[in-house]
Amino acid sequence: MSENFLIQLSVIVLFLPLLGFIVTLMLGKKIPKIFFFEVFVLFTGLVLSAILLFGKLTYFSDSRIVSEFKWIDMGNVPVFGSINIYLGMLIDDISALMIVVVYIISFLVHFFSIDYMKGDIRYNRYFAYLGLFTFSMSGIVLTHNILMMYIFWELVGISSYLLIGFWYEKKSASDAGKKAFIVNRIGDLGMLAGLLLLFITYNTFSFEQIFGEIAKGNLPFNSEFWLTVTGVLIFCGAIGKSAQFPLHVWLPDAMEGPTPVSALIHAATMVAAGVYLVVRVFGILTADAMLVIAIIGMLSAFIPATIALTQNDIKRVLAYSTVSQLGYMIMALGVGAYKFAFFHLVTHAFFKACLFLGSGSVIHAMHHEQDIRNMGGLRKKMPITYATFLFSSIAISGIPLTSGFLSKDGILSGAYAFGSLTGHWLFPFIGFLVAMMTAFYMFRLVILTFHGEPRNKDKYDHAHESKFSMAMPLVVLSVLSLFFWYTPNPLSPDAGWFYSKWIKDPVIYTPESARWDFMKTDEAALTHSSAEHPVMYSETYTEALHHSHGPAVILSLLVAISGILLAFTMYQWKKISADKIAEKFKPLYNFSYNKWYFDELYDKTFVAGTLALSSLVAWFDRVIIDGIVDGSATVTKAVSTFTGKFDNVVVDGLVNFMAYLSAFIGLIFRRFQTGKVQTYIIMGIFSIVILLFLFKSF
Amino acid sequence: MPENLTTSLQLIKPEIALSILLVVIVLFDLLFDKRKNLLPFISIVGLLITAYFVAEQFNMNNFAFRYDETSVGLLAVDSFSAFFKMIVILSTIFVILFSVASTEIVNSSDRHGEYYTLIMAMVLGMFLISGASDLILIYVSIELLSLSSYILAGFLKSVERSSEASLKYVIYGSAASGIMLFGISILYGLLGTTNLYEMNALLQNANVGGFTFIFAGIMVLGGIGFKVSIAPFHFWTPDVYEGAPIAITAYLSVASKAAGFALLIRFIKVTFFQSLASDGSWIMLGIIDWQRILIALAILTMTLGNFAALWQDNIKRMLAYSSIAHAGYLLLAVAIFSNDGVIAVLVYFAIYLFMNLGAFFVVMLIANKIGSEEMDDYKGMGSATGFLGVALSIFLLSLAGLPPTAGFIGKLYIFIALINADMIVVAFITLLNTVVAYYYYVRVLKNLYLVRTETSREKIQVSFGNVIIILLLLIPVFVFGVYFTPIVNLAKNSATILGF
Repeated sequence: MSENFLIQLSVIVLFLPLLGFIVTLMLGKKIPKIFFFEVFVLFTGLVLSAILLFGKLTYFSDSRIVSEFKWIDMGNVPVFGSINIYLGMLIDDISALMIVVVYIISFLVHFFSIDYMKGDIRYNRYFAYLGLFTFSMSGIVLTHNILMMYIFWELVGISSYLLIGFWYEKKSASDAGKKAFIVNRIGDLGMLAGLLLLFITYNTFSFEQIFGEIAKGNLPFNSEFWLTVTGVLIFCGAIGKSAQFPLHVWLPDAMEGPTPVSALIHAATMVAAGVYLVVRVFGILTADAMLVIAIIGMLSAFIPATIALTQNDIKRVLAYSTVSQLGYMIMALGVGAYKFAFFHLVTHAFFKACLFLGSGSVIHAMHHEQDIRNMGGLRKKMPITYATFLFSSIAISGIPLTSGFLSKDGILSGAYAFGSLTGHWLFPFIGFLVAMMTAFYMFRLVILTFHGEPRNKDKYDHAHESKFSMAMPLVVLSVLSLFFWYTPNPLSPDAGWFYSKWIKDPVIYTPESARWDFMKTDEAALTHSSAEHPVMYSETYTEALHHSHGPAVILSLLVAISGILLAFTMYQWKKISADKIAEKFKPLYNFSYNKWYFDELYDKTFVAGTLALSSLVAWFDRVIIDGIVDGSATVTKAVSTFTGKFDNVVVDGLVNFMAYLSAFIGLIFRRFQTGKVQTYIIMGIFSIVILLFLFKSF
Repeated sequence: MPENLTTSLQLIKPEIALSILLVVIVLFDLLFDKRKNLLPFISIVGLLITAYFVAEQFNMNNFAFRYDETSVGLLAVDSFSAFFKMIVILSTIFVILFSVASTEIVNSSDRHGEYYTLIMAMVLGMFLISGASDLILIYVSIELLSLSSYILAGFLKSVERSSEASLKYVIYGSAASGIMLFGISILYGLLGTTNLYEMNALLQNANVGGFTFIFAGIMVLGGIGFKVSIAPFHFWTPDVYEGAPIAITAYLSVASKAAGFALLIRFIKVTFFQSLASDGSWIMLGIIDWQRILIALAILTMTLGNFAALWQDNIKRMLAYSSIAHAGYLLLAVAIFSNDGVIAVLVYFAIYLFMNLGAFFVVMLIANKIGSEEMDDYKGMGSATGFLGVALSIFLLSLAGLPPTAGFIGKLYIFIALINADMIVVAFITLLNTVVAYYYYVRVLKNLYLVRTETSREKIQVSFGNVIIILLLLIPVFVFGVYFTPIVNLAKNSATILGF
């Protein structure tokens, strides 16, 4: 197996879903069964990507395989020097793993959708969009440069827009599509600024070359501050895509899309792209940038977790839980727990996709009922769905024997180590708090949906277990959430192949002076690092991580179990009345139930602001008295009347004038074309004479 | 001498193959009167064989028919000519496919033998033109090309406008070739040789110049300008393009234009330039200021083409003016007189081939069905034309130069070359011109999709074979719009003209 073979494989894996998209879209109306082609394409892609991963891990475990070609040669541009833009593929540990995860989830979602979407009027188009989405996502994963990543990033944006708003006849669905798209744009703007900063500094988009330059000490504008700015700007892209605070508002609304879509794009792929981006640029993040990332991650872990406690829509609970878990990953990256962040990305993809598909199975069985207050008792009717849903809930709560425990515990011990090294104890504290809330709301969901007595007898009677094509993905995904895929020791991932062999320690390119103290390369890291005793960053850090492991395991187990027990006491055994608590903490309850009023806040500030003059002015609007608002409105109106007039008279006038002028010139030219060949010849000879006299002097 | 002959024959394998093909077609037509439908097939196979021989000529640098062992010769065989021969072959294959799909041509099936014979004669003429380095050969090959195309333009004998077009073409063409011949004879009189390379050698040393030279040069330019339809020698173009069968119009607009440009570049570069500067630009001999002349003509040509196209109601005529405008862009790239400029010309042709042929082909298919090429008849046809409409829109947008189609890349390289040569003002004028061009291309789209009509049209069915032909043209338009490195590299390798 040669490098070339792997590169070719990756190119095929990238373009297969595009082929599926084109064929399915083109022939969708003519051949009703064409969606099988799309599913088949995805299956082929899955097999090929598995071969890719196998080849990478077996034969090129330690190398990064890059292949590129020159796309645009702008030649020698004054001031900048020669500018060439390269496109290419990169296969390293994370991209090879990620592509397999993307394909597993995507294939299972395709498979699940065959029955779930049956009878939809745009059935084949739905599969075509799934193909487009998979193509875009593969592009993000496999590219070797940030420009291509940005292009595919936007493609993910557009295809998720198409999928979320798939039932566009429903206003809420098309609104949700728009919201997701627009909110994402805000983050993307930051990312664009970041990548342009990189490009004007290094004249290249390639990760390798940018990292190399930074390792040599060439920084944007020669300052560490600007490196921080670049890191944070690129992270803005991740804030948008991964639905991080404060741009997390689009994700819960995006639940308007078909449920398998939610499983695909809101659990495993699109939202994971943001985390993947930060993983990619991890090596160039400064300590300040990492702190920003950690804080954003912490807020995004905490806020949605509190919201999820009180929501009643099964998919919304999962949506907030997703944001919260993504916040975990982002926070893990911020505190330097790089490997655990990626580990959690992978494990979370499986059990969250399982939860989403499970909820899809429930919703399908209940005839599009999504309110858990109308469910209950489904355990008997839907045993497979129940078992897989329960298992995934256990995984996400972080109970041993599941993959979720391994990765979550890793993040928590990373945060703990970070706290002990830098004194930022807030991160581990919030981490454990969120872990408890996660366990609580997940089991609240399980109990209300599957346990107890049916609360809506009518719908309950019609409920039934889903068919094979819907049950199979659930089983596969929950089996993938077992610990033994990743490590032989159910309590610690350290010895496992996933943690120690498959993912490599990150290489840090940031100048030493801009790193956290614990990430500075010390003597020990250079000399002691070996296969048996790996040293990440520095000896101090590895030590701290080692010491934090024990307390983290105990604490995380403790909080998870207490969260679960609390859920059981409140909802199963009804020892504590949930309603009474809600009554007692009415303001808090309302605050959580209304999602911290984020939507209202954004409506009032940013949305209204954009509609008026700008978000900034709108923010002042709320603060400053109404009179000034009216005043500014009057001024705005006057200005717009004036510009409108200006537009009408001067600008349009100029445009029209140019159009008339062009047409007039054309008319003159047309006059020469008399249709008489003798005139033509005379004009030809005449013009030779004119030319001669015009150019005779040299 | 016999050795010389053998080497020369080795070097003109493509031309020999073509001549054999021509004879085979004539004989086949005579012998198998009933099997005329095999003629296109035979032609394509023959062209593919020729293409194989042309491919061998890339990276060659030699003269065929040298005057003696060491001197220069009649016909230059280099990558530059090979590139243009490839363009000619590709467009010929497409035009043959078009002819099979064209009702106009198919309806006159009894004369298919001469149709394909004449096309092959044109190809032979263009092959010789793209390599010719002697004024006599240049003249003869231009005549070979012209005479065949006169007849083909009037191929539809029974259609009045086709015959009229042919007649105009003959008269105008004869005048142009007379003027050119006059110029050639003056050049011969002044320098005593007809070989471009020998002329150049004389001009390098002698301090000649003056009115007579410019006179002769401009007259030769007039002859070539007639072939590539640059203003003010373009007058025949709209009338002939409108009258000729669409397949032939498409052919004239791509292949014979390509050959003409190959000749123009070789003639001016070889004869009137001194050497290569370090930055890839060419150093002119102080005899005729070709740069000023060509820039002036280029701007005139593109402006005239674009503005006159605004007023056209016949889509073929609109495409005729559009092809004049494109000749203007190409002439401008020539006028840069640098290796960059030549690369831009080659890239442009490689792309122009697909998009222009594509546009003509779709217009032809629609005309086959609705029997009209008038813009007004396209109104509200968006859904009736279906795939054809979409394809036409894409070809037109590519002609207009909208990314991500290949047309954008063609223009991009011209602009890069212009800017590298510090011709900012000219680049700006060209930019304005491309803006004007959007109007008439998009007008077709507007008629297709935005204008609503009362009468609903019957859906136009496209046969599978035609869809394949369209796809063959359409896919490169997209692929080269995104992944253009191969053609650019090919163009870079092909920009070497025999000489300095």
